[in-house]
Amino acid sequence: MVQDTRLIEIKGISKSFGETKVLHSIDLYIRKCEFVTLLGPSGCGKTTLLRILGGFETPDEGELLFEGADLLSVPPYKRRINTVFQKYALFSHLNVFDNIAFGLNLKDPEALGVKTRRQMKEEVARRVQRMLKLVKMEGYEKRSIDQLSGGQQQRIAIARALVNEPEVLLLDEPLGALDLKLRKEMQLELKTMQQQLGITFIYVTHDQEEALTMSDTVVVMNGGRIQQIGEPKRIYDEPKNAFVADFIGESNLLDGVMREDFLVEMLGEEFECVDEGFAPNEPVDVVVRPEDVMIVGEDVGMLTGVVESVIFKGVHYEMMVNSGSMRWKVHSTSMQPVGSRVGMSIVPFNIHIMHKEG
Amino acid sequence: MKRSWYAGPYALWMLLFTVFPLIFVCYYAFTTKAGDFTTANLTRIITYYPVLLDSLRLSVYCTLLCLLIGYPAAWFMAGREFSRNKSLAVLILLPMWMNFLLRTYAMMTLFENNGVLNTLFAAVGLPKQTMIGTEGAVLVGMVYNFLPFMILPIYTVLKKLDARVIEAAEDLGANPLRVMTRVVIPLSVPGIVSGVTMVFMPAVTTFAISRLMSSGTIYLMGDMIEEYFISMNNRNVGSAMSLVMMVLILISIGLLRKVDPEGQGGGLW
Repeated sequence: MVQDTRLIEIKGISKSFGETKVLHSIDLYIRKCEFVTLLGPSGCGKTTLLRILGGFETPDEGELLFEGADLLSVPPYKRRINTVFQKYALFSHLNVFDNIAFGLNLKDPEALGVKTRRQMKEEVARRVQRMLKLVKMEGYEKRSIDQLSGGQQQRIAIARALVNEPEVLLLDEPLGALDLKLRKEMQLELKTMQQQLGITFIYVTHDQEEALTMSDTVVVMNGGRIQQIGEPKRIYDEPKNAFVADFIGESNLLDGVMREDFLVEMLGEEFECVDEGFAPNEPVDVVVRPEDVMIVGEDVGMLTGVVESVIFKGVHYEMMVNSGSMRWKVHSTSMQPVGSRVGMSIVPFNIHIMHKEG
Repeated sequence: MKRSWYAGPYALWMLLFTVFPLIFVCYYAFTTKAGDFTTANLTRIITYYPVLLDSLRLSVYCTLLCLLIGYPAAWFMAGREFSRNKSLAVLILLPMWMNFLLRTYAMMTLFENNGVLNTLFAAVGLPKQTMIGTEGAVLVGMVYNFLPFMILPIYTVLKKLDARVIEAAEDLGANPLRVMTRVVIPLSVPGIVSGVTMVFMPAVTTFAISRLMSSGTIYLMGDMIEEYFISMNNRNVGSAMSLVMMVLILISIGLLRKVDPEGQGGGLW
């Protein structure tokens, strides 16, 4: 699905607002038909980067190439890129049909493959109908925008952008205002649409689960810098630093010292691990996912602790286990009563060692 | 005490200064000086139809000019450059803080035959222009007086316009001109309606401005009504004229409401 050609190249892009530098020399390329998610906490620069791609902000430094040609000098209305805005930004003076037809009506008839104005009208109507079908909003043509629910407005915003058949669709936290169930449905629908249409999606979100569910590639950002770029599974399994580990999924974060290859010391004890290539006695960050901490008998565990709290989360229980020097977050399908002493065990493969930042 | 009681003083106020005068106007309009019923006052107005037409024509010109000048001004004021710098807004609002007669007298000294402008023309070798006493001078005086009433409602609407909506239009392929004609102007219709109402209505009943700026050569309906009441001491014909003007204004408001049925432009009417 994802092709090898680089559609968009971002080279050394920096941006400041007043005194605050929001992007520090960003390098990134995006391939054709790729679903890329820019993921990070608010204020990390992800939306600014998206707005630079859309043409609504100009970077202070750096290059932006689209199919190898400079894009920064192209105004937004000439870019083959469309945006789904965070709060939809629909035109309240137009009905659903005219909202979706807005972009098409600005085109020349030739661009739609027809000659006369009359044919154009028919062609526009045909394409709008196709979009309404795609976003499952048939029959809503004549509705006014303020008669629609949030989820429906969302669909119209997506249709309004996609009807122009852009090369790239930018989505700025498009599902943020929807309830959980609707959000999950829309995630799947968006992914299906992207695959059907073969369009490059660049998606901005702070929701790590959303990023992992939908993306071909996740770009984790923090403080205006890219922290890690990779496939969702790789980012989850092998976070590059403590920030990524903490932001993606839940984790137990510990300080450790790398005694030698495959041996890390933390909490005063030595653990086997699968990492190598660190300097002897290098201080490191250690991450253990809650689901990787196994509850075992008190006498056979590598660590022992007391269960402090238990929360039922649906599929699993989330327990906080105090081992004296550390409170562990543990996910397990079997519940241990509060106050009981348990043993904990971690297999070497699930201990992730990362260089300390800065 | 019931909350509605607090409305008492206002009700009394409106009774004294709105309802009673209206009743009097209606009464005088349909009676002779002796107090007998008549429609002669109304039919007499027909003989003044050139004045009525002049009033309507000048106020339409004035409204259009205000819109033409006021819309760009409101657009700049609402823009990013001026949102922090309030100097433009203050400059536009400053004249509003003064009485309109003072402003009009100031305009007169500008346009007089030996006034500021003609002195300037003479200094650069241009011939003297007769400006005061012309219809153009009256129009300038009206536009100058009523312009803020056009700018403010449009400014209010444009200020509230979501910048993302403009970006969305650009994003969908609209060049700056198309953004204006297809999104910004349609979305600011409520402000335009409000501005047009607030300029057109007082403009139709303009008086004093016309007399001062035309040196008494141009009479509008407002001047006529004033003359009947004050100089000619004939409140019957004056009332009939007022009644006709009120009906005309109500009709124009009715028409404007069709354009902006929800009254979003400040909802003044």
